[in-house]
Amino acid sequence: MPVEFGPDEFKTNERRTIVTRFWIFLFLLVPILGVGVFLWAPYAGVYLPQDVSTHGHKIDHLFTFILLLTGAVFIATEVVLVVFMWRYDRERNQDPVKFTHGSHNLEMVWTIIPAATLLFIAIYQMNAWAEVKIDRPDIPPTLKVTARQFEWRLQYPGPDGVLDTRDDIHTVNDLHIPVNEQILIHLESDDVLHSFFLPNLRIKQDAVPGSTIPVWFRATEIGAFDLVCAELCGWGHYKMKGRLTIESREDFENWLEQKRQEQEAVQ
Amino acid sequence: MMLGKHLASRVGAVVLGGLLLSFFPGCGGSPPATFRLNMEGRSPDQFSAEQKQLVVDILTAAFGTPDDPYIFPETGLDLEKLRIAAGPTYSEAEGVRHGLFRQHCAHCHGVTGDGAGPTAAFLNPYPRDFRKGVFKFTSTGPGAKPTTDDLKKTLRNGIQGTAMPSFVLLPEAEIEALVEYVKYLSIRGQVEASLFLYLENEEDLPESRDALLDEVLLVSNQWRDAESQIVVPDLKALPPRDSSEELAASIERGRALFRDAKTAQCIKCHGPTGLGDGNDEGDLFDDWNKEKDPAHPELWALPKQKLRPRNLRLGIYRGGRAPADIYRRIFAGIKGTPMPAAGKVLKPNQIWDLVNYVLQLPYEPSPNRPEETTKLTRARL
Repeated sequence: MPVEFGPDEFKTNERRTIVTRFWIFLFLLVPILGVGVFLWAPYAGVYLPQDVSTHGHKIDHLFTFILLLTGAVFIATEVVLVVFMWRYDRERNQDPVKFTHGSHNLEMVWTIIPAATLLFIAIYQMNAWAEVKIDRPDIPPTLKVTARQFEWRLQYPGPDGVLDTRDDIHTVNDLHIPVNEQILIHLESDDVLHSFFLPNLRIKQDAVPGSTIPVWFRATEIGAFDLVCAELCGWGHYKMKGRLTIESREDFENWLEQKRQEQEAVQ
Repeated sequence: MMLGKHLASRVGAVVLGGLLLSFFPGCGGSPPATFRLNMEGRSPDQFSAEQKQLVVDILTAAFGTPDDPYIFPETGLDLEKLRIAAGPTYSEAEGVRHGLFRQHCAHCHGVTGDGAGPTAAFLNPYPRDFRKGVFKFTSTGPGAKPTTDDLKKTLRNGIQGTAMPSFVLLPEAEIEALVEYVKYLSIRGQVEASLFLYLENEEDLPESRDALLDEVLLVSNQWRDAESQIVVPDLKALPPRDSSEELAASIERGRALFRDAKTAQCIKCHGPTGLGDGNDEGDLFDDWNKEKDPAHPELWALPKQKLRPRNLRLGIYRGGRAPADIYRRIFAGIKGTPMPAAGKVLKPNQIWDLVNYVLQLPYEPSPNRPEETTKLTRARL
């Protein structure tokens, strides 16, 4: 005899069945809405931002691959959840619960499959990871980015082409880079952890106090894009926003020269 | 078939609760924003409630409220700009944003512009209290107000080395609205101070429009006059910087001058090598802190804060790093701080030598504390 609980009005089987069915449909909404949002997002323009980098398609490919993989597991799990709730509700299963010591084979299966999948992903993404985080181009830095609460301080080498000298050109929040050129940024932080995030270039790198971390990429399109901080760094994190301007080499040099002249102003 | 009554009532309660919660911040009882009366350093019972109310009424007549600002048109300030910067934050359908001051500034500078917003206490130096009418980094002469362009520059570049961030990405119109509002808060603060001075001297407060306008113009004209008080660096005295030898000679002259305890006296605060370690007593305060009586901390919004002379080897120049900026800093001093105006003591060519030396300082090794200039970064390169 199952234990009864709850207020008296719950105790009729008919009402309880309706309540149970209600929750089953509610749970069913999770996978339906979850999948629906992802199907709808690309058409509504709220999916991945425009990719303007040479390596971005690899990151996007990995994203899509992992999304499909986790999506399939998610849907399967949700379907099993709903089917089990439907089939094994209390009204049609009055027998006492049977306990089991488990199935060795089943456990092997659900250990080996995820482990093999993770191993596959680890190997599959190695080239993309190496391109973005390991194979640093052997060029002098284009600029130094110093994150601080709550802004991006930017420092370009001056006419001597060397960073941290008297003729460096300093700006703030207004990041300019030439298009179709290899860019190397030295990333530092003045105070706490920040994260240098260029969504359109698929670049995200933590800025760690005490470390100089290289970040490199190649931009393919001219335009203005976002630079944001992607690591909660304090109360003003929300306002730690910059602008990335990708422009032709000529425009870039003109802009840099203009900044240099402003900085050397004697009048 | 209907849902169980119990469940229905529970679901109903949750939905209703959620609705109520979502409505509360919007139409709950938060009162309209008000300007805080400037009672800093005064005991609360120094003036009677009627006297305080009279000051509030006069200020409201002359300046309106944080939601509905007013300024006499005779001051030349643009009321339309003030209206964009003031009030609660919202966007018009056309994308014009309102309430810019509260969105960007008030959490540090306070709705009243008293530099005592919610985040102020955590900062060093404190956010500027506009009510004194004193601004540190200006292109104008000693004692003068900043120009409109000075304030715009501060907004755009931020003040590196302090908590003031850059607002360079805001549209020009929004920057202009904010600058106008800062002027407005500052003028209001100074008029408030003079009203209290009348009370202290037991004189009648200016209650007619004309009398009040005179009072406001006394302050706002200083702002207008600032535009014609810009310090023009003497280019004739500028040492040639074309060859590295001439520049090096200028830097050496600047170094000697920097250490000269009779004329330039930089060494007294900034130390012999510019590390900011010259003031051993540690007894320097800016104008916003020096009057605070440590025995009565309750009379001020923020605890007394010491002022550290700038370490000139960090490559951080709060008022701008262009030679012209540093020339003006030396010529006119940093207002409200012990950094004096040296324009009367030093000749223009001497100031230029100092400028060249100060700009060179971050890139030379420090003789007495070499580890200071060694970069402590762990380069993962």
